[in-house]
Amino acid sequence: MPPFRDDQILIIAPGSQTTLAQLGLPESYTPARSRLRSRMFPAEKEGEFEPVKIRRREDNAPAHNGDGHEGATNGENDENDGWEEDHISEEGAVWPMKKGKIVDWPAFYALMTHVYNTVNPPFHTPVLLISEPVWTPKDLEKVTQFFFEKFKVPAFAVMDAAMAATYAYGVPTATVVDVGMEKADITCVSDHVLHHIGRSLAVPDCGGESLTDRLVEVMKGRKGFGREVCDQLKRSGICEVLPSDAEILKNDAAVEDDPANPAAAASTGIDGEGQQRSNSSGAVGDVPRGPGPGTEVGEEKLEDEEGVLDIASIVTGGNMSEYLAQKEREKAERAAAKGKKGSDSQPATAAKPVRLPNSKRLRNSFMYEDFNLHNAMKKAGMSGENMAEMHSALDEGPNKRQKTPEPTSAVSENAADGALETTQETSSGSIFRREIEVGPERFQAASGGILDRLADAVYRTVQSCNDINRRSDLWDNMIILGNGSRVRGFKDALLARLSEKYIISPSSATIFTSELPSNLSTPIATGANTPMPQMPGQPHPSSGVNPLLVAATTAQNPHFNPAQSTFGHQSSHSHSGHGQTPTSIKLVKFPEYFPEWKDVGYDEAAFLGAQVAAKVLYVNDSTGSGYMNRTTYNDQGPTAIHEVAM
Amino acid sequence: MATIPPTQAPGTAEYAGDEIGALVLDPGSHSTRAGFAGEDTPKSVVPTHYGVLPTGERLFGDNAIHLPKADLEIKNPYNSDGIVEDWETAAKLWEYTITSRLTGARQTPPSKNGLNDAKDENGDTNMDEGMEQLEEQEKPLQEFPLLMSEPAWNPAKERQKTIEIAMEEWGVPAFFLAKNGQLAAYSQSKATALVVDIGALNTSVTALWDGMVLQKSLQHTPLAGNWLNDQIRIMFANNQPPVPLVPHYMVKSKTPVDANAPSSATYVHFDKPPTDSFRKLEEERVLTSFKESVVQVWQGPGRLDSPASQGGVTNGDYVKSMPPKPFEMPDGWNTVFGLERFKVAEGLFDHNAAYTDDKTKKPSGEQTIISVVNKALQAVDVDARPVLLNNIILTGAGSLIDKLPERLQADIQAMYPNPRVRVLANSNSVERKYGAFVGGSVLASLGSFHQMWVSKEEYAEHGAQIVDKRCK
Repeated sequence: MPPFRDDQILIIAPGSQTTLAQLGLPESYTPARSRLRSRMFPAEKEGEFEPVKIRRREDNAPAHNGDGHEGATNGENDENDGWEEDHISEEGAVWPMKKGKIVDWPAFYALMTHVYNTVNPPFHTPVLLISEPVWTPKDLEKVTQFFFEKFKVPAFAVMDAAMAATYAYGVPTATVVDVGMEKADITCVSDHVLHHIGRSLAVPDCGGESLTDRLVEVMKGRKGFGREVCDQLKRSGICEVLPSDAEILKNDAAVEDDPANPAAAASTGIDGEGQQRSNSSGAVGDVPRGPGPGTEVGEEKLEDEEGVLDIASIVTGGNMSEYLAQKEREKAERAAAKGKKGSDSQPATAAKPVRLPNSKRLRNSFMYEDFNLHNAMKKAGMSGENMAEMHSALDEGPNKRQKTPEPTSAVSENAADGALETTQETSSGSIFRREIEVGPERFQAASGGILDRLADAVYRTVQSCNDINRRSDLWDNMIILGNGSRVRGFKDALLARLSEKYIISPSSATIFTSELPSNLSTPIATGANTPMPQMPGQPHPSSGVNPLLVAATTAQNPHFNPAQSTFGHQSSHSHSGHGQTPTSIKLVKFPEYFPEWKDVGYDEAAFLGAQVAAKVLYVNDSTGSGYMNRTTYNDQGPTAIHEVAM
Repeated sequence: MATIPPTQAPGTAEYAGDEIGALVLDPGSHSTRAGFAGEDTPKSVVPTHYGVLPTGERLFGDNAIHLPKADLEIKNPYNSDGIVEDWETAAKLWEYTITSRLTGARQTPPSKNGLNDAKDENGDTNMDEGMEQLEEQEKPLQEFPLLMSEPAWNPAKERQKTIEIAMEEWGVPAFFLAKNGQLAAYSQSKATALVVDIGALNTSVTALWDGMVLQKSLQHTPLAGNWLNDQIRIMFANNQPPVPLVPHYMVKSKTPVDANAPSSATYVHFDKPPTDSFRKLEEERVLTSFKESVVQVWQGPGRLDSPASQGGVTNGDYVKSMPPKPFEMPDGWNTVFGLERFKVAEGLFDHNAAYTDDKTKKPSGEQTIISVVNKALQAVDVDARPVLLNNIILTGAGSLIDKLPERLQADIQAMYPNPRVRVLANSNSVERKYGAFVGGSVLASLGSFHQMWVSKEEYAEHGAQIVDKRCK
């Protein structure tokens, strides 16, 4: 009789940005059911935390006991006593984990409590916690203590995120590259044993944030591309990392073939761009002059310039109605332009039967969801009606959704990245969407050296794995995951970078090349063709090649030349030849029997691994040696977690 | 939020039963190892090299020191003899090694970490309880007894400095300092042994009798890992054609080229190239990889240039007939090494075989590993020698060169033909590399080690000199 039931196991995976949780193991392991932002808001009482932002509506509101809100689920908007919950804004939030490290323990405990309450497991529920690699043994003890003391869990186990990833992929040996928000962790696991020595923990500037940073840097010249916009650009399907810098250059070069740089081309509407597009698509060659797509772009850009902050200031400044009127006008104009565009210049692009893949297109657009504006409006005390009005005026979302290039990517984006946000959006319906078009800058997210940094860290990690013989296996079993690696093309680009930088090619000196065959016949007579294992017991020349011949030949050729290689090289076929690694680098293929994961991507595969492990630990293994139970805790205290920590 | 009762920290009286309580710190000139007592590998291994920014800020750890940055100087707190020179940095580095991966920074006792304090989570309420208490609170290792290793020739002043740092800066409740040779022997569960420890800066020989270090026997020589690196560099420079040593950070991408052909790689462009010291550090990484995959010691018997069984042919001629091993540089340049891959390591055993150049002089005959082993044996009682010869423990990362244990065995056997010579080299590379740590981990988790700790009170009473009395 298994000690616990499938449906009564709680898995929690805290992360710096998102915390995943799920109660129970479904028949087929699914992506985490609960996704919560890893942040808490300081409550009225100092040192206590709320899961949602509470803002004061009136100044004279009476002090409100924060506990009343504890456990309030997302989506319901209860307002009382002059306080309201804001489910969208994250201003002033406390993020208890930074780069995987727990920096604010009280907030972390509050977050865990919030997660626990949200999932609301029955009393007798064991917990499996996925630990960030950077947590120290002391941290683990503290967490263990917290779970036993606070939730009275009957059993508790922790599993390292990297270990969990190998469980998900079902491989005993792997190099796990976990690209997070502000950091990446690189771990070698060989034969289910995690190598602590040489492990690269929390490598800074290697996460999704640095991609955003880079975009911000690249977009510096353009107004309206603030951090928020760049962040969403990164998440959108059009941001892509091309396999090598060379391709970006090629792309740039293509742009430079145009009479002007892309920005100028865009704003002045020079037809070069139209030509460029048509050339690349091989469609209509001649593009009518006039207000072509280039001009359209220009307009868009102007609007961008007025974008984020300006709208906010208009709102707060009270010039709303004027602005709205202007907006309406613009909309109408644009609609007209669009009609025109559709009639003349559009064939080159939109009317094409086959859509070009994103990487071949010079520019592409994505939907920007403006949270800042929402904040600004709330601050300005905007009423619901006003906001709705504003919303209808500004939101370009729904009718342009179809313009997003690859629908699949858009789906996966929403499914995972913004799952929580989406629910909030739909409930509140007050998110402002705008379409923003971006040029080839969108391919440069990873051009800031992040790939080099990551590649170096991966190389360093594998090379410092003490088990030299396993290194080539480690190279052949790379797992790249983590939401930071979600940007399209990132994994391939990293793999390509690793390959071009580190792969050891077969040495031409040890492989018989065409220049050698003529020599091959000579040494056969000496017996040198027989592979000669190095026998420690009988190391002397008598066992191998005629030493005199060796001496004579090598005397003539004191330095290496192809002729000399004939003496020893036959056996290089039988021995490994290269002691160096990597001779090849491959990604592990994700097992196909988890259909639910296919759509959302495998970036959170560690959670899947945790489900596999939870099943083994809590259900299949009746000895109960894989987790820490209440008795053990009572006897030995939190330090006993090290016995079972994976 | 409900409060959590105080941690049931193991009482101070039961230092290191089987509990993970005590810390073991095994500092070296190449890497600094630390972990909890009772563990079989150090959880925290940090390079001893550190980076210094022009601002004077020191950067520790692999993540920080391998990124090419202009003006980042790479330094090492050790002097060439393997003794700490820069105490300030060493103390910080050691603290980083322990806190970054083991204990977390700045532990606060449960009574003060705010968890049990319903009123204030930040411990603010404790602030007014006096500065003294605050200072106490800030010491990073207050809860952890600490066992440290030291080289056998560590001068008294340095030893006292070590206990001072541990007691005063870190606030450890108990401390012990053990010789790393001693610890390496414990890792193999031997109390009587001759320990040969090949490290980065030094190879040391320590004779141990019933757990006691025989002071007369202590020997060390600079012929070790770093010296081997220098040998490889000279070999590269003298090779025909010369081997270009280009570290990874300079290469953006490489394409395969034929052996000995010039590389065709694209290089990273630096506005201001990183410092020489940084380049050296990165070059050493390539050399390490070379040592791992190519270098081999002639396994004996005899030297590389001594005649083999048949007339006129030397062992060197024989190894030429073995398949040479290829090596590819980070920029794609590659070649094969036949005799050279044996010759670079031969100097460890045969001073005449060492490569020399303008800067590197030939080591004296007394500096070879065999000579120092011999000297150590000569210094001990003649009756003890057979036992020691039967228990030669080889440890240290430098000993991982292929076939080195075989050669050591053969050479010592040739010198002492009569008693049986047995070189014990752990086949597990991790355990051989971290022999001293493993021994320390065993020692600190022994219940019977309990009375050996130098407690805080004893330190307060006797001062730093107590380390000379207690830790022999």
